[in-house]
Amino acid sequence: MKPVGFSTSPNVVLRLPMWRSRLMLFLLFIAFVALVIRAFWIQGPGNGFYEAKAMKGVQREIEMRATRGKILDRNGQLIATSLEAKAVIAYTDNIPADLAPEKITQLAKLLEMSEVEIKKRLKDERNQVFLKRQVDPELAQQVRRLEIPGIGLNNEYRRHYPEGEAMAHVVGFTNVEDRGQEGIELSRDKELAAQPGKRRVVVDRLGRIVNDIAILQFPQNGQDLQLSIDSKIQYIAYKALKSAVEKHRAKAGGAVVLDVRTGEILALANWPSYNPNSRKGLTGEQLRNRVLTDTFEPGSTMKPFPVALALEQGKVQPETNMTIGHKLLVGPRPITDTHLHGMLTVSQVIQKSSNIGTAKLALQLEPREMWDLFAAVGFGQSPNIGFPGAVAGRLHPYQKWGQSDQARMSFGYGISTSLFQLARAYTIFARDGELVPATIVRSPDYKPGTRIITAKTAVEMRAMLETVTEQGGTAMSARADGFRVGGKTGTSHKVEGKGYAANKYRAFFVGLAPMSSPRIVVAVMVDEPTTGGHYGGQVAAPVFSTIVSETLRSLNITPDVSERTLVQAPATNASPGQLQKVALKQ
Amino acid sequence: MNRATLTLLTLLLVCALSLVTAQQKTRKLFVALERAQIQERKLNQEWLRLEFEQRNLSKSARIRDVARNQLRMSPITPDRTLYFKDGL
Repeated sequence: MKPVGFSTSPNVVLRLPMWRSRLMLFLLFIAFVALVIRAFWIQGPGNGFYEAKAMKGVQREIEMRATRGKILDRNGQLIATSLEAKAVIAYTDNIPADLAPEKITQLAKLLEMSEVEIKKRLKDERNQVFLKRQVDPELAQQVRRLEIPGIGLNNEYRRHYPEGEAMAHVVGFTNVEDRGQEGIELSRDKELAAQPGKRRVVVDRLGRIVNDIAILQFPQNGQDLQLSIDSKIQYIAYKALKSAVEKHRAKAGGAVVLDVRTGEILALANWPSYNPNSRKGLTGEQLRNRVLTDTFEPGSTMKPFPVALALEQGKVQPETNMTIGHKLLVGPRPITDTHLHGMLTVSQVIQKSSNIGTAKLALQLEPREMWDLFAAVGFGQSPNIGFPGAVAGRLHPYQKWGQSDQARMSFGYGISTSLFQLARAYTIFARDGELVPATIVRSPDYKPGTRIITAKTAVEMRAMLETVTEQGGTAMSARADGFRVGGKTGTSHKVEGKGYAANKYRAFFVGLAPMSSPRIVVAVMVDEPTTGGHYGGQVAAPVFSTIVSETLRSLNITPDVSERTLVQAPATNASPGQLQKVALKQ
Repeated sequence: MNRATLTLLTLLLVCALSLVTAQQKTRKLFVALERAQIQERKLNQEWLRLEFEQRNLSKSARIRDVARNQLRMSPITPDRTLYFKDGL
């Protein structure tokens, strides 16, 4: 056998056919070309898809939170504010079937819900259900610490009302979506509402935001709103009203305090009220803002208007004597008074609240002129104060008035107004004949009014209104410590069905103070008082008295009762010792 | 390679590296800013909460109650108040 050398393999000697290596080379070339085309495709025309995919991994759209505006009172005190809260959400698909029962027990305890309810919600067919909304953030952290898979937290806001019941009807409330539902929250929702923003960001693999790409929508906090209400006066009014309603076992009540110089509403109180912070089982009765949305026949509180008109036209003077008698025959039923008066001066007609006297004066007036005055002071038109549901009341056109209608309207029957309209109308007496535009938003400047009657008439009317609270008047109980007050009582039968209820009344008092230079108008209404009298002078006047004396004191207004000696401070260079001596002499 | 090319190459490298550092810094600063903004929000919320708490403690109803029942105070009335007129 021919020896085969170590270096000479027979395979080497074999020659492979040339085409095989060529084929290989060609295939490799094709593969490279394919790669190049692919690479070109990915980076060129087909880029969008990959770019989108990559961006999806690192880009997020996140919400930028914005807070609803605060509501403040005239002194900047908080009336409504939004605080962050959490919504507890269950993503039902992610809840494990073998979730430990004690976790559910713990969750139920934290959320103050029954276990049955929670289990029911966890099995809801929707894949996302709210377990509880507007949860306190600290409580939400405790829920998070339970580490139940599929339970998440969402950011939201909760509205808080520190003044609670006292301010409920003014401020109203919002729903869970932070939108206004009642009161100022509703009427000013546009300004108060927040506009959450949105932005697109880049996140790293830990979910931290590493870059801003764009702000898609700027977040906008709601505007703060400052009301004309003074929360201290509001509380005074609310408390006085509440205790009167309880004392007289009445159905409801309302009170309003107006600043005469600026037309600002300082207080607007209602009873029954509700707590706007927890609104379970609210009834329509509680929600009703009686001051603005209830209309009623104002009874004798109407009398100053026709009397003022008679004075204005020079038909009578305050001292003019009138024969009253025991009845006046006008219309189907005679007009009577509760007490028999033989002769009264015009001033006494107001002081003693004589229906006959007022009707006799009214019948000397042209229906049209009376209507003009009523319309001019705002009866029959809804007050333009930007509050939902403020009603217009009813004032029939004068063409339809008969003699009887005109006579009865002069003492407040056959016409209806809201308590607020009544209070505002009384500003003509307080402001020397001008009607002031009313507002619920803070605007502390003196406002020019519309002249309705002359200053002379207004001053005369003020003197008459003051006699109402003096010896012989219908409302001695309206007097306030240290201040001269004036006003008018009213007691009206309530309408029931087609006629008047025999023993259901509304008691009113509308007045002004201090009489030396009126600063506030206060109107009080108590609905269906049942014990301790039903007359305005018995029921509503004491409320007026409390509100006036406390309000004027809180406004730092000097008492104007003249019989009290005021201490005369010595000249400016006096020493403190001298001052003391002077004080002691009094 | 001549000297000019070398210098340019070095410069290019330095620039490239500083770009990377700058980007890294931007990110870090951005994260810090983001964190500060979250903190600001939190503090803001805290302030709102405290403001609310303060209001709750200072509302008329509570002050009246505390003054009357705990401090045994009674309201000032004009009949036991001396008023000073401006001395001239």
